[in-house]
Amino acid sequence: MGARVLLAFTLALFGLSSASAQSDTPILSGGAGFFSATQGDTTFFQPVVAPVLVVPLGEKWLVESRADLRGFISRENGSTGPYQGQFFGTLEYLQLDYNANSHLTITAGRFLTPFGIFNERISAIWINKFQDAPAMAAIGIAGGYSDGFMLRGALISNDRYVVNYTTYFSTLSTVNKFESERTFGARLGVFLPRLGLEVGTSYQRKLQDQRMNSVGTHLSWTPPGLPAEVKGEWAHSLSGHGYWIQGGYRLSQFGGPDSAIGRLEPVFRMQQFFRSRLIAGDSLPSTNVRRPEFGLNYYLPREVRLNASYGRQFISQSTDVNVWEFGITYRFLFPLLPGESK
Amino acid sequence: MRRRIFAAVVLVCMWSTFVLAVAQTNAKRSQNDSKSKPSDAATGSQTDGGKLFQANCGRCHNPPESISPREARAVVRHMRVRAMLSAEDEKLILKFLAP
Repeated sequence: MGARVLLAFTLALFGLSSASAQSDTPILSGGAGFFSATQGDTTFFQPVVAPVLVVPLGEKWLVESRADLRGFISRENGSTGPYQGQFFGTLEYLQLDYNANSHLTITAGRFLTPFGIFNERISAIWINKFQDAPAMAAIGIAGGYSDGFMLRGALISNDRYVVNYTTYFSTLSTVNKFESERTFGARLGVFLPRLGLEVGTSYQRKLQDQRMNSVGTHLSWTPPGLPAEVKGEWAHSLSGHGYWIQGGYRLSQFGGPDSAIGRLEPVFRMQQFFRSRLIAGDSLPSTNVRRPEFGLNYYLPREVRLNASYGRQFISQSTDVNVWEFGITYRFLFPLLPGESK
Repeated sequence: MRRRIFAAVVLVCMWSTFVLAVAQTNAKRSQNDSKSKPSDAATGSQTDGGKLFQANCGRCHNPPESISPREARAVVRHMRVRAMLSAEDEKLILKFLAP
């Protein structure tokens, strides 16, 4: 039933989009990938397709959606036995945006919970420099998805600084594929374009079950003219607190971005989580965790990227393990309506 | 444990020095690039739209290799919501991608 409604909704959107101006061509973007990870003596594989649908409707309206179709293939008993697979489909967002004015966009529907920067900006498989999310990234995002409405935009925007904001309310939903928690939250950021530096802070109040506040700060720095980046977050909730910080440097200044060396990108990430209190269903590690990771990404032509990383996971009251990850991602983008390509 | 922390700090310092040295050496090279492909914005397009594209798009991900003018409008509208762009910035970026 849900699939039929979605299909009808999608077809209706295409109809509306076709009827509008030719420049409102809907696009299908996103990523596909195949990942493998070995933690200790357990290896698993994940084929993933994450399509993003964007349908502009006139000057003010926009419909956006992203799904995550993922398989999880592992041995029956962890490290022994035949391989077996499970497949999952997740509707990550399906939102209607209305650009009310230059400083305000109103969003309704299902959206990625805007807390910090990982969930909303970096979680796409073709963006994330590592395969997996930092352990503490589950703080303040209430499962990752929210059903409700959101206001967002740039309060002040000039060539020296941009002050951006997001505030939202999410309702409790137990509908299959549309699960969400009853929460309220906000995020405020200051971006300095000349420095490529953004800092911000996030807040979320959970309004059901174990009611609690989550707070966090984030930092993102992409120096202008330099193919490098530093990103990080710190967050705290009743469950615990933690941080992650990662850096990457594309070697494109050695012979250009298309040279053999210039396609390489060494990356580093450090993350820690400190458990304060066990709260069921918070999607966080049950004990303290520390994991430094080093990786090497290689950007092939045609938007294909190879990933490899090694990390050592230190877990309180348990055996430390090595974590090896290898993967390949493909990023795609094409128009969904026929027409001339200029 | 202290040795490890010391080694990590030394490595980070060496890495930062290396990056800054390379950046200064290559700064002029990247400033002279004036192509309008999105991926070239990463090396410093001179247009306002190109700069905005790189500053806002590059905050989260690498620019795509190419975007056709037909795709540009939807891409920029999507980006306006994600990156919280103003309407003026949206127009400049659209002009850069689909002149």
